[in-house]
Amino acid sequence: MTGLFANLIIGVAVALAVWAAVLAAANKRITRSLLIGAAVLEVMLLAYLIGGVVQMIGTDRTFAKFEFLAYLVGLLIIPPLGIAWAWDEKSRSGVAVVAVVFLVVPIMVMRVQQVWAGVGA
Amino acid sequence: MPEIDDAEDAANERATNRGFGRILVALYAIMAIGATTRSLFAIATKFDQAPLAYSLSAFAALVYIIATFTLARGDTASRRIATVSISIELIGVLVVGLLSLIDPAAFQKASVWSWFGLEYLLLPLALPILGLWWLRHTRPVEDSAAI
Repeated sequence: MTGLFANLIIGVAVALAVWAAVLAAANKRITRSLLIGAAVLEVMLLAYLIGGVVQMIGTDRTFAKFEFLAYLVGLLIIPPLGIAWAWDEKSRSGVAVVAVVFLVVPIMVMRVQQVWAGVGA
Repeated sequence: MPEIDDAEDAANERATNRGFGRILVALYAIMAIGATTRSLFAIATKFDQAPLAYSLSAFAALVYIIATFTLARGDTASRRIATVSISIELIGVLVVGLLSLIDPAAFQKASVWSWFGLEYLLLPLALPILGLWWLRHTRPVEDSAAI
């Protein structure tokens, strides 16, 4: 659950967060292209969840499996929830919320990697 | 109709869930989810290792949940509950943060509020200050006249 794909997710999420922050700074609202970016990230997070479950079933190592699954499912749920919460906000705060939510993704991916590696919470 | 828009804007300025409040509620929600899941796992799997720290984390999680929903709702009763719970949150993070510095041995397993929430990028210290400021900033007009 480490490796290239996880790092790619982190890279995409950080890029989207910077993009959203720039939009907020420019006093813009959520744009269509930002939403497309969010959809791409969401597909990657779905693949990450599926890959995680497959790898979890394929290993007999002991690690915090429920925690591992919770982070993977949380990763999938949190971005859409955040965008829904930001959606009808007319001020720049809406897209700022989206920036915050995208920044949570790298933190959670790193936690997934720690749990997978068996580092204690 | 510009008048209606103005009235709506004026109402929105006093709402706890609009403008900066959107971000604040999102941050509280993130802390609520993070603290709730982590403390539940800790209590379920290793409570006896650090009962104090994990109980405190669970209490913090409860405070975050209350703050999230009351700030998102923003009516009079919600504002009152939010003010009380966020004040408790501020006292909690200050006391626990201080204790974790004075007596690190008691907090070897981190609670959310240990070291003023350093593990959560100091968000636990910033949130109650921002929350109380925001509640004051958005207080209804009649309240501000009374003060």
